[in-house]
Amino acid sequence: MNTLFPGGFPLPTAFYLTLYVLTLALHVVFMNYVLAGSAYVMCSVWRARRSLIREGAAVNDDQLARTITDWLPLMLSLAITAGIAPLLFIQILYRVRFYTANLLLFHRWMAILPVLIAGFYLLYLLKKVRTSERPWLPRLTTMAILGCFGFVGWSWTENHLLSLESQAVWTRQYVRHSLFFNSPELWPRLLTWLCGSFAHMAIILMWQWRWGTLPVDSDITAMQTMRRLSTIALGGLTCAVGTGLWYVSTLPTLERGLLMSPLAGPWFAVACTGVAVQVLGWVIGRRAGRPKLSTLIPLTTGGLLTIVGVAVVRESLRLSRVDISTLYEAHASAYTIDGFAAFVAFAVLSGLLVAWCLKATVRGAGSWSGALRSQFGLKVPIASQHVSRYCERRTLMR
Amino acid sequence: MDIPMFPVNDFGPAMKGMIIGGLGILHVFLAQFAIGGGMMMCYFEWLSQTGRVPFARQFVDGYFKLLVLVSFVVGAVTGVGMWFTSIQISPRTIGTMVQEFHWLWAVEWTFFTLEVVSGYCFYRCGPQLPDTIRLRLLAIYSTAAWGSLFWINGILSWQLTPGSYFATHSVWDGFFNPSFWPSLIFRTISSMTIAALVACVVLNFVTRFDREQRVVLQHRAVRFLIPMVAMPALAVWYFLVLPVDSREWVLGGSVVMSMFFALGAACSLLIGAYAVAVMFTQGLYLNGATAALLASLAFLATAGGEFVREGVRKPYTIRQYLYSNSITQDEVAYLREVGCLNIDPWPVEDPDTYPTDDLRRGAHVFRIQCSICHTIDGANGLVHLAGKWTPMQLRLNIAQLQRTKPFMPPFAGTAEEVDWLSEWIAWQSAGRPSDWDRNPNAPTLAQVDEWLDEVGTTPGIELPEQPQEAGR
Repeated sequence: MNTLFPGGFPLPTAFYLTLYVLTLALHVVFMNYVLAGSAYVMCSVWRARRSLIREGAAVNDDQLARTITDWLPLMLSLAITAGIAPLLFIQILYRVRFYTANLLLFHRWMAILPVLIAGFYLLYLLKKVRTSERPWLPRLTTMAILGCFGFVGWSWTENHLLSLESQAVWTRQYVRHSLFFNSPELWPRLLTWLCGSFAHMAIILMWQWRWGTLPVDSDITAMQTMRRLSTIALGGLTCAVGTGLWYVSTLPTLERGLLMSPLAGPWFAVACTGVAVQVLGWVIGRRAGRPKLSTLIPLTTGGLLTIVGVAVVRESLRLSRVDISTLYEAHASAYTIDGFAAFVAFAVLSGLLVAWCLKATVRGAGSWSGALRSQFGLKVPIASQHVSRYCERRTLMR
Repeated sequence: MDIPMFPVNDFGPAMKGMIIGGLGILHVFLAQFAIGGGMMMCYFEWLSQTGRVPFARQFVDGYFKLLVLVSFVVGAVTGVGMWFTSIQISPRTIGTMVQEFHWLWAVEWTFFTLEVVSGYCFYRCGPQLPDTIRLRLLAIYSTAAWGSLFWINGILSWQLTPGSYFATHSVWDGFFNPSFWPSLIFRTISSMTIAALVACVVLNFVTRFDREQRVVLQHRAVRFLIPMVAMPALAVWYFLVLPVDSREWVLGGSVVMSMFFALGAACSLLIGAYAVAVMFTQGLYLNGATAALLASLAFLATAGGEFVREGVRKPYTIRQYLYSNSITQDEVAYLREVGCLNIDPWPVEDPDTYPTDDLRRGAHVFRIQCSICHTIDGANGLVHLAGKWTPMQLRLNIAQLQRTKPFMPPFAGTAEEVDWLSEWIAWQSAGRPSDWDRNPNAPTLAQVDEWLDEVGTTPGIELPEQPQEAGR
């Protein structure tokens, strides 16, 4: 605990901890897009209704919501796929604790599967919803989608917190047959994830804009889009800092001190630096009016620093509660098992083929902005149709 | 000896095997549909590009959407769900598998990632892509999907036929185990069969094709059923590599397993017979109902096959190492000395419902040793199976469990624990009366001890001669 993460642990443990944190960070990138995207689309749909009265605002919401809606199924698929790797490594690292928490939450935990499937299909449904015929449908659908992914996030957080507890707490939980685990850390922690996810989604949307998958037609729209994205990101970061402070206040004093310890302190600084870089990037980039690389690179770097820093701090907090030294032997045993070379070889091969697939698709379809934008054109938008059709009607009425 | 104990959950009248079996069958069916579907799309794309069936391209684009909607959503989530369900049912089994094969599981993950990316590229931009790229994307997709099967098949088949793994502790010896190849080829053919039958169903709902075009496409799809002719030979090969006891259970030793095997075989035979009829009768068309019926038969065949595969592993979940109740062979001898209750930190649920401490302990023993396969009075309920046994019978049969039924593991506890469990079964069978005295005709503990010693701690089945080291 007195050495910078992941140092200070035996090599096998440090190795699996590193793999876990890195793969978790990758999962978080996609997860954030799904979580924040669902929330944004829901707000956009509700805002579209209010814009009826205000007459035709929210052109930007339109484009953003359309793009997010269109990309959410893919992002969810990638989030699930990327989530498999940390799920594998957590079983190597904390097998008994992870399994025990799963078992204690029982039906409630298993419910994430049908809920996830329902959320997935609702995302596809959302792309097909015709708002003009049944205006309540998109509102209901987006609420259900956010509810599904919120439930999954809530369950994971609860599962994680329960896995950190002692045998005495577990026994109480088991005897009570309780499917819920209340902890003062639960809500601030969950809200910190949720708020932070908006900033990361905004960065990904900036890249989508640059690659042409977020269609922006005019300079005015570009300025509005930039302002909207920076507001989302800065708002998300501000709220995340606030809820983060709330979360820290719920921690025992000893664990609060961990944030300044040699183990996690530097990583906490990395996360804070990442936030600062993002804030600076958005404040400066806000005036740019287009997604310049000079803005995107610091923003992306800041975003990644934040994700990795927070992931390490999260892990350090776990390590402060769990006696991982009892697991060293199991980690060492896993470390000696063959197959790593095969994994590296196939990971490289798959990586190359993934790169080829993307490149060939972009090249073959003309360009992202060509092929994919035309695809967007064919899709039935949600918020956009909702807004524009009502606005049309209002204009006609006048 | 450090034996991990978990908070076991109760699924009411449902056997735990029914829970994981149900999800497993659904997942296997969908995953095999994704694998076979990828191959079929490649074939149809090739037919279209070579001018043999020009309109096949339209079918590819439509069918692929279904593939994505079904396999990428339900298939992917139930795949993760299998892990979670395995944790609920037998955390130690899945923990051992993950520990021993985590890198191969990670390799499988790289294939799955490739499958998802290539699949989405085709899904999003397929109609706008040039022919070469379309075909290559589909080839990558189907290879990645099949690769995913390749890796997972080795891990799953290891559970039944670990081969020389426990002697060498080599991951590759475990992976390329005796049933690896027959199982892989069998699953590949099953995948092709499912894809063909689903294609026949889908064709009935595609309005853009006229009847003639549908007949052409169906006849092409049905060609994917041709490899089914190899199934009997593969079944024989599979049977030959199975452990002798497992084979005997399928061939009559266990009537339930024999029936499920027969169900799978009969369904496959019916599908094969219909396929022959379609192939040799020009113009024969499978309407929606018939195609759906055949696809349902394929589902039943999958269910039968999976049930048999799971069932013949008994009394193990990992043969030669871990019994179905998550106790290893080495641990049985240890638990005979110290007792299973002494190592379990999880208390009995609702302890006040038992009139005596012995009954509470009996319920505890049931939870640790029996509840993985038995319920109290639901599916495979002990009340139905052993409720009418005399006190002597109960104690003898439990003490010598591996002789009572060779597909059950040896009892892993003390004579007292045999006694408590027997009393608890008798109490449950008597309708859980509030007053309960020890049965006067029960044999003495010394007698139970003698029975335990007589049968020993080895399994009731014959194992090959080789070192049986504990897993890591």
